[in-house]
Order: sequence, then structure tokens, then C-alpha cells
Amino acid sequence: MTDFMTILGRYGLTYAAEREGNILLFDVPAVELEQVVRTLKHEHHLPLKTVAAADERTNKGVFRIHYVFGIPKEGVFLVPTLSVSEADATFPSLTLVDQEFSVYEQEIMTFFGLVPKGHPRAERILLHRENFSEDLYPLRKDFAWNAKQEPTGKEMPAFQQFDGEGVYEIPVGPVHAGIIEPGHFRFSVLGEEILKLEPRLGYVHKGTEKLFETLPMERKVALAERISGDSSFHHALAFAQAIEALAAAELSERAKLLRVIYAELERLANHFNDIAFIMLDTGLSFGGSQGTRLRERALQWNERLSGNRFLRGVIVPGGVTCDIDAETVRKFQDDLEVLEEDFREIIEAAKESDSLLNRLHGTGRLDAKIGRDHGVVGIAARAVGINIDARADFPYAAYDGLQWSVPTESSGDVCARFFVRIREVHQSFRLLSQALTLLPHTKGNLTASIGNLPFEAHAVGIVEGWRGDIVYFIATDDLGALSRVKVRDPSFLNWQVFPYVVTNDIVPDFPLINKSFNLSYTGNDL
Amino acid sequence: MTLFFSLIQIVAIPAISPLFVGIIRKLKARMQSRVGADIFQPYRDLSKLFKKDEIISKDASWITKIAPYIIFTVTVVVGAAVPIVTTIIPSFTPGFSLLPLSDFIVMVYLLALGTFFLALAGMDSGSGFGGFGSSREMMVAALAEGGLFFSLLVASVASGSGHVPSMVVSLQTLPFTSFMPLIVAFLAFFIALLAENNRFPVDNPSTHLELTMIHEAMILEYSGKRLALMEWATANKLVIFIALGANIFFPWGVAASLEGHAILLAFVLFSLKTGALLFSIAFIESTMAKFRVFRVPDLLFTSFVLAVTALCIIITF
Repeated sequence: MTDFMTILGRYGLTYAAEREGNILLFDVPAVELEQVVRTLKHEHHLPLKTVAAADERTNKGVFRIHYVFGIPKEGVFLVPTLSVSEADATFPSLTLVDQEFSVYEQEIMTFFGLVPKGHPRAERILLHRENFSEDLYPLRKDFAWNAKQEPTGKEMPAFQQFDGEGVYEIPVGPVHAGIIEPGHFRFSVLGEEILKLEPRLGYVHKGTEKLFETLPMERKVALAERISGDSSFHHALAFAQAIEALAAAELSERAKLLRVIYAELERLANHFNDIAFIMLDTGLSFGGSQGTRLRERALQWNERLSGNRFLRGVIVPGGVTCDIDAETVRKFQDDLEVLEEDFREIIEAAKESDSLLNRLHGTGRLDAKIGRDHGVVGIAARAVGINIDARADFPYAAYDGLQWSVPTESSGDVCARFFVRIREVHQSFRLLSQALTLLPHTKGNLTASIGNLPFEAHAVGIVEGWRGDIVYFIATDDLGALSRVKVRDPSFLNWQVFPYVVTNDIVPDFPLINKSFNLSYTGNDL
Repeated sequence: MTLFFSLIQIVAIPAISPLFVGIIRKLKARMQSRVGADIFQPYRDLSKLFKKDEIISKDASWITKIAPYIIFTVTVVVGAAVPIVTTIIPSFTPGFSLLPLSDFIVMVYLLALGTFFLALAGMDSGSGFGGFGSSREMMVAALAEGGLFFSLLVASVASGSGHVPSMVVSLQTLPFTSFMPLIVAFLAFFIALLAENNRFPVDNPSTHLELTMIHEAMILEYSGKRLALMEWATANKLVIFIALGANIFFPWGVAASLEGHAILLAFVLFSLKTGALLFSIAFIESTMAKFRVFRVPDLLFTSFVLAVTALCIIITF
């Protein structure tokens, strides 16, 4: 374990820091914030993991904004924190220093009513002005969680207009033809070429972060599981890890291995599904039906091991609820071998389809610089050659002791995202086989007890969901109850680059590009 | 007898076309390891749609209202003159015969009339999807026309007639060795068939992704009985193309009389030939990905080049 207190010195910072759980929190005056951020992010290349504001007016008299930077391989997070008084209600924008801050600052502006001073596009996001009046700040403590909103009667804002001969608009959604989430896409098109795409999300706002503050503890995990249904396990895991970091709980080896097994099963099911749908969207129905068949097999194992196809109810803070007996482990191992062989054959067949590869190559290319600037994560990042994976960078559960690697591609197109997924599937099989071999040799309680949480403390939970890293930043109040839970789903960042990706592609390729990202609408719009 | 026969000939294509669609779907399902719906499902779908209520956009003009009738009628009229099991053309009285309709040029351009109204209807309701559907359809139709027209012209030149039943009769007597240019022309025709009927790799008839659609995008605003007519017309058109392909390029067995055993043999051979074509379509749709829109012209140009090559061979030798 790194000596916490010397860490700041390593970065040439001389603030009085407080250690809480897995984070090192220190107050930074507004005028010095930019310098601190430059030091951490630009000089030392620490990844920004989330920016979380909290309304602490009742006990501290101020709003606080936490900028969470991770130190890879050490499992420690540096959190410079800014205090903003209610009277001032502004904070210095860092968007011109680093684009990655932009969307977080817009989010804080929307939900807390704090204005990022100097932000080039200080606009509210997600909360539609037809339904939410603009002086409404739902994450402030004086906003009741069950307050009813009447439509404001305002018009929806105009989309950017393009002139020119032959330019026309295609409005798509918010209700779509398939069983997918709602989102409106406004295309400005010249012939078949997309000049500009403006997504309008925010149709699924549920007040999730507010609910975390009001629901009783035992239901908070269930809430995390429901943030993004396809990532039930990973969201719950990230939340549980944050609680465990706060409570300094030590998990048994067995619980850690079980977490790896369930996590990789969730990844497998979703990767199978995406691989299937990418092929299906090009019209290659062979790949579509075979891939969805494999996904079903993975979901059936989920159900067999945990009683739930989406692994709900498996995670509790301190461990897991479902054990796997030796007999089932053996059957599972045998079946995994069959599954992997099946998968290999399907991919071999897919690789031989020129018509498929022709559709994937060069489609929906994400520029690596745009990706880095916006802080893309997960599959989208690895497909442009950014080697990030929370399992490797911030090891949790039992990942540290297992042999595996992080696959990356470089072309950033649909093909790259397709093959990152394929290679990750093989890594998941590798992880599962090791974890299942080790499991019968471990003993220990499935759950460690979680005592009372410390007062006025903060912690971070980070996991690599199948889309990308999921980050939970949590804070307790002066009674040890959770007063703020900030959820950062990978979709929140990856949606930012989406319009850049589709520009200059053609309209009929959009569904394919969309599927290759497969972002969550609900995870973006909590 | 002739009157009875003529009526059968007129209703034959609308009567069997949903079955053809059902068979393709079933074949595709089996190839994709699914069970698939019954082959008679398209009949049930049509009857359901005919009973359903209809919604017409308030921005739509008379074109939206009459287009389905025009398009459906075109396919029935053209279908009546297409030889299925016999080369005898329906006639009610000596003065009223469908003979003029059985000219291949008339057929091709009557079908184009249907396509024209389909494209108008796509744009009529003012929806973005219909607009680009029509734009893509016109691109495909314009490029497919060359291959379609010239491939039929090859058969016409080879048989010395533009009248489809006469073409069939005359081609039946052609020595087998002279069929090479017709095989080349058939390839051109088959590509045009796929494009004209919105099949792979040009269009995907079973997609739900609006942005990738061509044909489906144009009929997206239709519901109820007009949608049923549109769907039915699409099925009719497919059967017309399949019957033309099967009987012109593989003319053997089509009966020249109404005798029982000749009709029976013709029926069996027709089923085999069309079965093979349906299987090919289903096979293509199960084993390859759709082309990117801008690769479609290459494919259709190939069809045109094949047809012109076949024509050159015929004229030269």
C-alpha cells in the first residue's frame, strides 16, 4: 500500500489532504484550481474519472465540486475539491483547459444551478425546457425528490439549420422501430451524406441520483442494478465497491473470485449480443441468429447460477449472495469450452464474409484525438488504441491475480469496435476458466460485514462494465448516511463524440455505427 | 372454357404471390436456424390488414390515397399476361384480349409506372423517411432498368419476337447449344430482379431500421387496407419477375395447349424452376451482408454490362 500522505508531494502539491476510504481529498481555492488540474492531468496524465458536485449547504454552508483523478495501478484517487458559496453560485470553467470537463460542467450547471464561468457553451443538458423550468435544480437538497413537474409550455429549442441546394433534415425518434430506448436524432443530410447529427437525449430522466439519497440502504443496490439494465451487475458492483472502500471492508478470496465470474458472464452476454447485432445490422442474418443464440446461453447460465438472467440480487456491499458448488463449476467449465468453440466457429465464418467486412471497414471512424479530448472510455477508447481498462488500471475483485490482457485496435471504425469485442470475449473466457479453476480451492464467507459508515466521508467505486468504466462517487453526511451518489456511466462520455463519428458517413450506415457503440440512454440520463 | 381459363390466369398471380413470400420467409428462417412462420402466414397478414383501421397523414394528398390502387392494378394487369403454365393469353371475346399487354416492353414500363407512383407516394406524406426512400428507389430503378430491359431484349432477339408467350414458344425450340447468351442474360435479369424487388444485397425487406430502408421507407406511412394492397402488389411483382425469369430463360415445359397432362407437366416444372429461384433468393439473404448504398450502382452496372454482352453475342453470331 502506498503511503497516502506522500502522494501529493509526488505531484508537487502542498495542500493539506485528508484520507477517506480510497481517496485523498484536498480543498483547492478557485484561483489555483486550473493549475492543479493542469499539473495532474496534463503533466502527470492522471485520468479524470468523474466530476461530482454536492449540495453541502446545510452543514458546510457551501456547494462542493469534487474533481476525481485516478492514479492507475495504485487504486488511489486524488480529489481536489472546490467550495462554491450559494451567493456566488459560479465556478471557474476548465473546458478551455481540457474539453473533457465540458459535459460535467454542463451537468453541474443543470442539476445544481452553479454556472461554469468561461464555459464556451454554458447550456443546460438533459432536462428538457418543455418539462423543466430553468430555475429548477433537482440535485439541490431543497428540491423534494417527489416534486411533480408541470409542462412549462416552452417550445423545444431549434436545431442547427443548414442551407444549400439539396440539404434536408431527417428527424428520427424519440420512438424507434426496434425495442430500444428513446432518443431523438436530427440529421442534416446532403443526398446520403450526413452533414451534422444533433442527438437530443433526456427522454428517460428518472431522478436516480436523488433517489439514492432517499431510498433505504438495502434498496440502494437494487436501484444501482436498475440504472442500465444490461449492466445490472457492474453498476451494483461499482456501488458496492464504493461502500466497501468507505467502510474499509475486506472481502474473502471466494467472494472476489465469484465477482469476477459473474462480471465476465455479464460481459460475455452483452458482447455476444452486440457482435450479433452488428452483423445483423449489415443484414448478415447468420451472424445475428448465432450471436443471439450464444447470448441466450450466457443468460441461461446467469439464471442457473444466480436465479436471475441479469444477475440482479447477486451483489451486496461486502460480497455476493450466490455461491457456485463444485459440481456446477465442473458443468460450467465444460459448457464454457463448448461455447468458446462455438463462438470461434461463428467468428471464423464471419471473417470470411467479404460483404460483412466491406460494411465494417472505414465506417463510423472515431478520430483518436477527438476521442482523447472528450475522454472516451471502454470499447470506443480501446478501438482507437487508448489502452484503458479499469480491471487493469484500478484492479478490483480478483482481477489482480489472473492472467489476461487488454485488447486494443487502432482504426477506430466499426470494424475496430467489432474486433475489440471479439478479442475481449476471448479474454473473458480466459478469465472465467482461471477463476473457475481457482474457485474450489478457496473458502471464506461470501459476505463481509459492513459496519456503520464513517461520517462526512467520500469514496470512489470503479469497475469496467462491458461498455466502459462505471464510476460511483459517494459521500456521507454527519450521521454516516449517504448524502450524495454521483454515477458516471460510460455512455455519458461516449455520447459526446457520437456526432463527430457519424459526420461524413452516409445515412444508411448510421444504425450500424450506433450499434457498434451501443450506448445507454438511461445510464446517460439518470 | 376459355373464359374460365382466362379468369384463372388473371387471378393466378395475386392468388399465389403471398405463398411465394411465405416460402421465401420459411426458407430463410430454416437457413438461419429458426422455425419460422407457416408459409401461409402472408395470407393471414393481408386479411388482418384489410380488416384494420387506416390512418392517413393530414399532409397527404390524393396521391397517397390512390397510389396503392394504381400500383396493385398494374401488377394484376401485367400479371395476367405473364405465362405461368401456358403460353395462351387470356381473351374474353375476340375483340378483347390481353394480347397487347404481353409485349415485354409494355410489361417493363407498366411496372415502371407502378414504381413511379410508389416513389410519389413515398414523398407525398412529407416524412423524411419516405423522401429518402423514394430518392433511393429512383436511383435503384433507373440503374436496374438497363439490365432488365436489355436482358429481356436478348431473349426477344434470340426468339425473333417481343411478345412474351411467343418468345417462350420460340425459345423452346432453340437448340441447347445456343443458350449461352441467354444464360448470361439471365444473370443480368436475376440481378435486376433482386434490385427491382427490393431484395438483398440491394435492400433488406425484413429490416426494422428505417434509415437503411428503400422500399419499406416509402410505405412506412401506410396502414390498413392500403398497406395490404401495397404489400400484396410487392408480392405480385416478385412473382411476375420470377415467372418471367423461369419461363423465358428456362422455357421448357410451358404448355402450348390446355390439355390436362401438358398443364400438369408445366405446373410441376414451373414449381421446380420457381422453387430454385426462391431458394437462391433466400440463400443470398441468409449468407451475405447487404451492400453499402453506394456499391449498389456497381452491381447494377454489372447487370447492364452482362445484358449488353449477351446481346452482342446474339447479334454477332
